[in-house]
Amino acid sequence: MNAIIAVIVNVIFALLYAPLIDGVERKIKARVQRRKGPPIQQTWYDILKLFKKEEIMPKDATKSIFVSAPFMAFLSVLIAYLFVPTILPGALYFYGDIIVVIYLLAFSSIVLFLGAFSSGNPYAQVGANREMSLAVMEEILLAFIVGSLAVLNRSLMLNRMFPLEIKVSSIILLAFYLVVMYIASARVPFDIAEAEPEIAEGPFIEYSGKYLAMCKYTIFLKRILLTSLFLNFVLPENVLWRTIGYVIGVVIIPVILAMIEAHMGRMRIDQAVRFMKRLSVIGIFAWVISLFGW
Amino acid sequence: MQDIKRVIEENNGKIVVEHDYFLLVEVSREHVRKLARTLFEAGAYYSTGVGSDERPRNGFFAMYHILNHEESKKYIVLKVEAPEHDLRIPSITPEIEGANWAEREAHDVLGIVFEGHPEPERLILPDDWPEGVYPLRKDFKYNEKVKPVRKEEKFIEREDALVLPLGPFHPTLHEPEYFEIYVDGETIAGARYKGFFIHRGLEKLAEGRLTIHQIPFVAERICGICGYTHMICYCQAVENAIELEVPERAEYIRTLLLEIERIHSHILWFGVVYHLLGFDTGFMHAWRIREKVMDIAEMLTGNRKTYGMSLVGGVRRDIDEDKKEKTLKALREVSQEMKKLFNDVLAMKEILNRIEDVGILPKDRARSIGVVGPVARGSGINTDVRKDHPYAAYKYLDFKVPVYNGCDVLSRYLVRADEIFESIYLIEQVLDQMPGGDIMVERFEVPEFSVGVGATEAPRGEDVHFVITHRGSKVYRWRPRAPTYNNLPSVPVMLEGEHLADAPAIIGSIDPCFSCTDHVTIVDDSTGKILFRGPLEDAIRRLKR
Repeated sequence: MNAIIAVIVNVIFALLYAPLIDGVERKIKARVQRRKGPPIQQTWYDILKLFKKEEIMPKDATKSIFVSAPFMAFLSVLIAYLFVPTILPGALYFYGDIIVVIYLLAFSSIVLFLGAFSSGNPYAQVGANREMSLAVMEEILLAFIVGSLAVLNRSLMLNRMFPLEIKVSSIILLAFYLVVMYIASARVPFDIAEAEPEIAEGPFIEYSGKYLAMCKYTIFLKRILLTSLFLNFVLPENVLWRTIGYVIGVVIIPVILAMIEAHMGRMRIDQAVRFMKRLSVIGIFAWVISLFGW
Repeated sequence: MQDIKRVIEENNGKIVVEHDYFLLVEVSREHVRKLARTLFEAGAYYSTGVGSDERPRNGFFAMYHILNHEESKKYIVLKVEAPEHDLRIPSITPEIEGANWAEREAHDVLGIVFEGHPEPERLILPDDWPEGVYPLRKDFKYNEKVKPVRKEEKFIEREDALVLPLGPFHPTLHEPEYFEIYVDGETIAGARYKGFFIHRGLEKLAEGRLTIHQIPFVAERICGICGYTHMICYCQAVENAIELEVPERAEYIRTLLLEIERIHSHILWFGVVYHLLGFDTGFMHAWRIREKVMDIAEMLTGNRKTYGMSLVGGVRRDIDEDKKEKTLKALREVSQEMKKLFNDVLAMKEILNRIEDVGILPKDRARSIGVVGPVARGSGINTDVRKDHPYAAYKYLDFKVPVYNGCDVLSRYLVRADEIFESIYLIEQVLDQMPGGDIMVERFEVPEFSVGVGATEAPRGEDVHFVITHRGSKVYRWRPRAPTYNNLPSVPVMLEGEHLADAPAIIGSIDPCFSCTDHVTIVDDSTGKILFRGPLEDAIRRLKR
């Protein structure tokens, strides 16, 4: 019963908080650029506004896929929140839930990719192609990390891994996880799939109104999910300290990432993929160490 | 100098006018091709071409090919004439690639047929313009309206590649231009360019109803960024045509403002490029620094942009000591901040990786297309109108012309970076050396049918204006040629074989300036009815309701 209440609170927290922290990030970026920046509620205003707007359906779109994709992506990320605790400890745990979380994240990328493809717009197709090459690499890296963690903890259940024991391999893995998290949250230099000046928002080019709002919301939720997963790995089990630590972490980490983002230029897709291939070597190294139980 | 004259005479060219700035050479139709090729081989490149309807005067149509021969510090204007009943002139495009657009334009607006042109398609007139109506002929009234015709759009399908339309409206360009890009995966297999959606018919307006003194204010509105250089270029063309000496102080003031325009234009370009590469922080900072330059412009001219400052014969406002001090102080700050920004960016690997060895334009190809300005200098061509054809006060000043041999986007980037600091150095010299005296010659005679060529180094490259004067302080023919006209044909060359992701940076690297217009004309395709701005807005509002 307690767990169910915790899950409900956690999901609501994530839904409310994800757009808000994006507003904070926008403010931070504006400050770095010596602009005043919009108020921190701006992302919320944007989403609410988009929900009120009419949707325009592209002529060549496969309507059923095009319309359902944003909702399916949104729901799959939301479902992942059932297994990853946010502000309160407690989630639905079962054997193998870690695999479900990774699948849900991959699923959200894939449906967005399908939705983009079904729009019939050539820019969306290019964007979807890029999204896919990135997503494949991300999922491989994420699978490396989680797989190594599972080996380290001899379990496929997430709650057994919260928090991680301090070992050489777990520290390497966490550092590695931060990088992957940065890539997966589609920030500069890895916002290649959207790349506004190049391919005009790529996969989202034909989306408007609530569908666009759902796409954007999905990205914000995914960012907070990945951040929460990281915090769960490092925070202590004590409820009070964990909550305090979580609140601090969930503000500080996006702010730091936004600062990094403001000082970067965009990579090209082949450069990004090459970069991630190099990263995967570190993944293999960490995995080997974890096999030895270090 | 003697050499080039000998070359012209040996190839049956007749030098009619010998001016300090240009040579006007008459050549017959049979010999134009050989003469053009010989001049190209002697080091000249194709600057621009101007068609003119001279029937009221002598019953002929004329084509002026303007070549820039930097070595002898002269523009060579080849004049070819054809009578109305036999309106054919051999095309020189097979010899010099760069003549392509100019000849197509002359065909569009005057109906001159260029025999042997490899690509005789419509260039500047819209698709719905009727065949056989030539707007720049003298018997076409400037306010005449034509009935649009419907025309099927030609769309080249390619089996092997996806057609990606970059434009007519795209966030990279901010102005209506259309690149049809054929992509194979992420690689560009080819590109086709289509432009002139916003041709405003300024030339017809100027010939039809403006006087020599009104045109400068239309000329500066050709561009929203480098307008002043067009104004000066026009003034110089007229001054060359009527052999008018401008007071030295006016020359210095012109130089000062031209360099201020170059600085703000280049900083603007850096902002745009950073944005295209996803580095928005650089974009914001570049434009913040640029704002100081705009403030200088406002202080000196009364406008945020350097508008309304010149007339034929001089400049309209003087500069006092107090403004000199303020200008120097602001420029020192700009110099420091830009240095810091450039250093920070050079430390960013991901930005350099995106522009190094991307968008290659080999030197020989650059020369045959006739690219100008930083694009040419980034491909190892040492060309700069300020050095090759000194105008305004540049003949008294000391400056370097940065040339890089990388032929890529990075080289163009570095050329512009160096030019900002050269410009600041030039302004310091100008303010230091500026002599006293008048700023304007107010009384002068305008002879009839005198030909003049004016050129300036705009921020984007060589800007050429061609003027033929007319009685009653009017112009018979005025043709402005913006630098992008010469640079754009090189973009498909640069794009081929590159990644799609690099397309914006490559197109951006020539600093394209598609002059924009306020008054849109939209044609309702189904009825052929023209909706002007007012009715268009009403129609949109009605739809919304």
